[in-house]
Amino acid sequence: MAAAAVSSPLPPSTSPSSTAATTSTTTTTTTTTASSPPASMSSKSSWIALGCEGSANKLGIGLIRHTPTSTTILSNLRHTFISPPGTGFLPKDTALHHRTEFVALARRALAEAGVSPADVDCICFTQGPGMGAPLTSVAIGARTLALLWDRPLVGVNHCVGHIEMGREVTGADNPVVLYVSGGNSQVIAYAERRYRIFGETLDIAVGNCLDRFARVLSISNDPAPGYNIEQLAKKGTRLLDLPYVVKGMDCSFSGILASAEALAAQLLQLGPGPDGAGFTVEDLCFSLQETIFAMLVEITERAMAHVGSSQVLIVGGVGCNERLQDMIASMAKERGGSVFAMDERFCIDNGIMIAHAGLLAYRTGFRTPLEESVCTQRFRTDDVYVEWRD
Amino acid sequence: MAVEIVQLEHVPSSYQIHLALFRNVKNAGFLHQQLLARNADFEYAFIDASTIVSRVHLLSAVFKAVNSSANGTLRTPNIHSEIVVSLSSSSNIADAYRRFGVSPSTSDLFVVKVTFPSDTTPEPPSADSISQHLKDNVEGDAVPATDQTIQAITDVRTVRKSYKLNGLAWLDAIKDELVKRQEIERLILGGMALRGV
Amino acid sequence: MTATAAEAAAPHEFPLPKILTNPASTPPTLITQGAEGRLYKTTYLLPDIPCALKYRPPKPWRHPVLDQRLTKHRILSEARILSKCRRDGLRVPDVYALDEAAGWLMLEWVQGTPVRVNINQRLGSRTEGIEDDEELKDLMRRIGAAVGKMHSIGVIHGDLTTSNMMLKPPAQQTDGATGLEGEIVIIDLGLASGGVHDEDRAVDLYVLERAFGSTHPRAECIFSEVLDAYRQSFKQAGVALKKLEDVRMRGRKRSMLG
Repeated sequence: MAAAAVSSPLPPSTSPSSTAATTSTTTTTTTTTASSPPASMSSKSSWIALGCEGSANKLGIGLIRHTPTSTTILSNLRHTFISPPGTGFLPKDTALHHRTEFVALARRALAEAGVSPADVDCICFTQGPGMGAPLTSVAIGARTLALLWDRPLVGVNHCVGHIEMGREVTGADNPVVLYVSGGNSQVIAYAERRYRIFGETLDIAVGNCLDRFARVLSISNDPAPGYNIEQLAKKGTRLLDLPYVVKGMDCSFSGILASAEALAAQLLQLGPGPDGAGFTVEDLCFSLQETIFAMLVEITERAMAHVGSSQVLIVGGVGCNERLQDMIASMAKERGGSVFAMDERFCIDNGIMIAHAGLLAYRTGFRTPLEESVCTQRFRTDDVYVEWRD
Repeated sequence: MAVEIVQLEHVPSSYQIHLALFRNVKNAGFLHQQLLARNADFEYAFIDASTIVSRVHLLSAVFKAVNSSANGTLRTPNIHSEIVVSLSSSSNIADAYRRFGVSPSTSDLFVVKVTFPSDTTPEPPSADSISQHLKDNVEGDAVPATDQTIQAITDVRTVRKSYKLNGLAWLDAIKDELVKRQEIERLILGGMALRGV
Repeated sequence: MTATAAEAAAPHEFPLPKILTNPASTPPTLITQGAEGRLYKTTYLLPDIPCALKYRPPKPWRHPVLDQRLTKHRILSEARILSKCRRDGLRVPDVYALDEAAGWLMLEWVQGTPVRVNINQRLGSRTEGIEDDEELKDLMRRIGAAVGKMHSIGVIHGDLTTSNMMLKPPAQQTDGATGLEGEIVIIDLGLASGGVHDEDRAVDLYVLERAFGSTHPRAECIFSEVLDAYRQSFKQAGVALKKLEDVRMRGRKRSMLG
């Protein structure tokens, strides 16, 4: 009954837009760390949050349960907006995708979790950073649920969501965090109640660099351009000279992108082989990865040296890349430490991380009043006061 | 004794460094000639002492040459010519010989000999034999190679020119001669380390 | 050049670079394992000349071609820049010797502690009165002047942090010393480059500003002293500071996308 009412303020569920090849990449995870007692509003030994994520092209909705000693993922669903090869996802189309899929995904998330709206303590949503229109679409969905079910809203910083989920899933206690995605490239460490940004990109994000490079060569966006570059790179052998730009703990990718694009254009014009460009698409993907990832490892290592930590946690969509994981692991091992990485369920944007980070804040008394629930495209990781950690 | 054996940090134990300083040298022309003739009995680094500002300055060149020898990366025919060239802040070898090597007009002379077992001479010459050979062939007064003695010999003007240390206002502004000399030595070490690269 | 707790507790021993396996009067001490490589305290030529040996070991996770290229380039570039700074009268460590193929650089051992340590000792657990701490503010101004001098001679550091500046105490400590006296010696120019562009200077300052904020959050309120002294240190400083505002804005814009 509640679910039926949800759909009214939202556009009716329609088939995927004809211009965008939309593919479902939903994932369901049910990790139970302990058999928890049923949720009870009165005793408060158990809390359930619903999290909504839509800062980029993934719409994610998930439900999580916390008890004082355990965290249980009740459901974790995702629906990705995939644009045709050679194109990127535009805010307008992505927002439409999120509006279109929100209700169905929310219903399925509830059903898979096996909980009713009455069991949910709070509605968590990504308040930023991200693309404005998609963020707003999902926030409207979250507000609607909050009003409908009379539950408080909790606005969550997307980056903090990644970090908290990473800590939860991997058990990494106080790691240096490498957060690499389509929109963010940051090296973060916790100090005095904030996740402080030690290093970041001075221009475009690493994922954005990979995505845009993929467009030049019309590499498929399904399931993700970065994934397809990774597969091609495995067959590359020749290292091409690309700019390597690290400034302190910051780095820059725009020069590399320009060089890689120029090489790609050369390749398209002359073809591979000794009479042509003399290198292959695979070589170019390989060189791009080797150079970019070496830079990321370097700034991560510098941050580790700076804060005296030997643990690294990799989060964000680019963190799925196994070559990057291997390089970071090798570096961490040499420093006497270790790397914590996750699979695509949690590395790629998802609702459960928003639910998890939101619930941590909720349990310390944090609420986002309706009138303050506007989204912000710019939301620094270090703007969040981390009440729930020492 | 005229010849001092110098122990340097981080030099392989098979290398032995012999050092001597002669003043009022009368036969620099003869010594120069032996080098030009590649006389195998005169395998020494003969250095015009007026180009040297301190022991550390000279020993830095020796250290660099030993390191190149041990790594097999000599740029010149042997370790002794390498010492002379290592004094230079430029990569021009002929220029280095001309500036720092013995010339017929040299009156104060540093002699360095580095010995180590090699395929051709598995048993390097002893300190005594080196000492005797120098005594027989260098016409001059052997003196201890102290920084004080070196300072009296240094031609600072030429040294500053060789290492391109002219026109540094902050350096000229230093009043204390001792401090200024230290600064010059430091700048020289940097120049040598980079040798024009 | 003080090891942090985590570094001191590092359980494994690293193989020494070949040069340090040769005999010396005292064994080399591993001081830090920074991202740049390892820093050893050892001796140059004679037992009484302490020196710092910066060693960039091969990084096995990096493609070997890229690794050699970066290592050689960085050793030479750091030495060249140090030498240039020294010639132009900026206090940096002296270069003693180098071997770019073997990946090491021998530098003067600078006495004292990294500025980070001095600031943190001064701050202790204080949360109030920091903005009125004149001695600390004076240290900030010396930092600003040193960075300004560096920029004025056409050098961009590339990794400005309070760990990359030493405070070399005066030869004679006077009574009532605060531990904040001394000369700023900029170290670790491994990422430095030549440059006179205001943009590069601004990014350099931005890196320092951010590193300062994350390392000394409670002293962020007096960071403006650094910039004030910088402004007065050379003619073009004002333009670079104006540019810094742009870089800050762009830095924030960076987190636009999720």
